Amino acid sequence: MSAGMQADQFFEVLKSRRVVRSYTDEPVSDDDLWKLAQAGRWSANGGNMHPHRFLITRDATQIRLMRTFAPGMLVTPPAVVVLLTDREVAARLKWNLDASYIHWVDTGTAAQNMMNMAHALGLGTCPVTSYSKSGVSAILGLPPHLIPELLLMVGHPKPVSRELRADAPKPITTRDLTYWEAPGQHDPT
Amino acid sequence: MATKQSTAGGVLTEDEALEIISYLVASAETSLSEPSHYAIFRLIDASSRMIGLMLDHETPRTGEFLRRFKAEVDQKKVWMMWDSEAFFDFVRTAPAGVAAEAKRLAAVDDLEVKEANA
Repeated sequence: MSAGMQADQFFEVLKSRRVVRSYTDEPVSDDDLWKLAQAGRWSANGGNMHPHRFLITRDATQIRLMRTFAPGMLVTPPAVVVLLTDREVAARLKWNLDASYIHWVDTGTAAQNMMNMAHALGLGTCPVTSYSKSGVSAILGLPPHLIPELLLMVGHPKPVSRELRADAPKPITTRDLTYWEAPGQHDPT
Repeated sequence: MATKQSTAGGVLTEDEALEIISYLVASAETSLSEPSHYAIFRLIDASSRMIGLMLDHETPRTGEFLRRFKAEVDQKKVWMMWDSEAFFDFVRTAPAGVAAEAKRLAAVDDLEVKEANA
């Protein structure tokens, strides 16, 4: 697919994705999880350095225990992709991660690709950054060089209704977020 | 003389209690770096998680209330993400509902004591 082809459809996928915090018990297939890993692999990546590793788990006990150390996991999903930074990769590249945020940007691009891919597959996802790194590392048995940067809950969405008050704040708009040419200039000149 | 009714219902297993402890200490850590109102959310969510574990056991005295309160907490806690004022309003009023249940239990206990001593 060349850039521009089916752009409207592609935008609909982007626009209709939501964070999903309610899942059915249906397992997530190997094929679907592999597609998420591939989507992460093909994300924009600083310097093509690929400091990340993706740990996929469907182990119910592991997920349940991980959730106890992850306040951001409001539910227990059928699958989790743990996005890790491999500090050994960084060390080989003489890359000082403690003075860099590139690997966090890369975590975000990989996670977003995975979330969009999941949505296109009919799956729901929720990124989780509220967790104890030491606690989650212990539960997963991670060696010290693998740092958990983000937990991505994955599952088949269970429909839920979201009731809003009539005077609830209006969602932020693209215009609110966008400046043209200068800060504060919300419209093209 | 009769004493206050035993309240063994809803007692957590050691593993379940450890789940709550894990959640609380992890929340303490994440609260070091997260926006301050997240900590409020964690406490409300902790109450839901604990109720969920309690309801896996017999809860003859509080079960009805706990089920109703947990459903309300789970519905309203997520307002924090898109309607924070509504969430804060809920946080302000939630203790009154729990207090009413505590008073109801105390009244039941007092009545039983009085009846036993009559």
